Amino acid sequence: MFRLLFARRGDWAAFTLACTLSLTLMLLGRGQQARAAWFVQHAVLAPVDAVVGWVDAGIGVYWENQKLKRRLAQVQIEVDETRSERVENARLRRLLELSQENPFDLAAVRVIARSLDRLGGSLTIDKGSKEGILPNSAVITPEGLVGRIERVSPHEARALTLLHRDCAVAVRVGRSRVDGVLEWEFGENPVLSLLYVSSQEDVKAGDWVFTSGLGGVFPEGVRVGTVSRVGIAENGLMKDVQVKPAVNFRGLEEVLVYLPAGAGRGPRMLPLESTEPDSAAPPATAARPSPAPSESAGAGDGR
Amino acid sequence: MRGFRDALVLLVVIILQATLVHRIAIAGVRPDLLVAFVVYFSWMRGPIPGVIGGFTVGLFQDLDAPGPLGLNALAKTIVGFIVAKAGFRVHRSNIGVRFFFFVTAMLVHDLIYFGFYTAGDFGALVRQFVFVALPSALYTSILVSLLLATVERASRTLLLTDEV
Repeated sequence: MFRLLFARRGDWAAFTLACTLSLTLMLLGRGQQARAAWFVQHAVLAPVDAVVGWVDAGIGVYWENQKLKRRLAQVQIEVDETRSERVENARLRRLLELSQENPFDLAAVRVIARSLDRLGGSLTIDKGSKEGILPNSAVITPEGLVGRIERVSPHEARALTLLHRDCAVAVRVGRSRVDGVLEWEFGENPVLSLLYVSSQEDVKAGDWVFTSGLGGVFPEGVRVGTVSRVGIAENGLMKDVQVKPAVNFRGLEEVLVYLPAGAGRGPRMLPLESTEPDSAAPPATAARPSPAPSESAGAGDGR
Repeated sequence: MRGFRDALVLLVVIILQATLVHRIAIAGVRPDLLVAFVVYFSWMRGPIPGVIGGFTVGLFQDLDAPGPLGLNALAKTIVGFIVAKAGFRVHRSNIGVRFFFFVTAMLVHDLIYFGFYTAGDFGALVRQFVFVALPSALYTSILVSLLLATVERASRTLLLTDEV
């Protein structure tokens, strides 16, 4: 009868058999089901399980590798950002230390443009008259004197560096207290020359040169550079002194600008991010000396 | 030769189901490649291979499923048989027809499975059907249709037959 059934209706017979088997399995008790499952799993399907496990491990490693590569790229970007921020942080910390050591009001400003000439004769900074910057204010860095403010607009200002012919500075040789005027001189080999130094004066290579405060534009005692060469001028009366500036003008990113006397505000530094004067700055110490930087001395300081 | 090819395809499907599927889940919806295999296998091979394939694959799945042993085997046996009986009238290489056929067959399978699984709780059945069965059927059908189209275009035959 079964043979006849399978011969004529083989598909239906197979279907009925499979359904019956399935239903029988479903109707088994939990223990019997577990035993049957265990038998099929361990006796029949163990090799398949092994292959599946092997492939799964391979795919898992590939997936994890891709994920780790992405993570590594993200971390690399973060490391680069952190490194850049660390350098900036160190630079700003030095500016802050300088402003705290300095008894005058200082504004920390960013350099937003440089002059087009190769030497770097001028800079544009991101603060102007609204932030208290005035023409002829001295511009410095922790390394030394940069120059002076030439022109001011409400939110930016142009500074002339020592490498500009209109930025002469009254200076003093630190060791021997010899005064002179430092000026940028054009020529075949443009240099910073210390002028008006008599041939009898004591100036040697390696001497530090500081601002003298004469002329009223630059405060006294700001480092300017070192004497790099000393000779006698052609007329024989004066010394021919060349000075190497302390500041690297090409690498300037932030500078400090002397502000007018604080009117009771005392020493402080405008934050780089802020465009408004810091009204919450500590008062006190107003009695400290001010260099009166607001005095206008024109382009030729000391001349 | 045919049997060997079928076994090889089944092995690949089992490996993909066990290793790849949970990694390509979208919002918790996973494709069910084993049902898709049963549907396609039954469609291409006919009722008796369909019933045997459905029962075997279902039983294999039952070993790793939380439901009672035999439930997947029953559901896949029924689907394999219905698909084989109904499928010979359907144009097998048309991708649209194929997609519709896959979706319908998978929904029938899930209706049987969840019907037994929820044991008469109609609300639970509807929830399972709407939130599990329907998205899974759509996802699986799209995936399998694309996969079959790619494989068959490359081999220039239907996957489990010698038809062009």
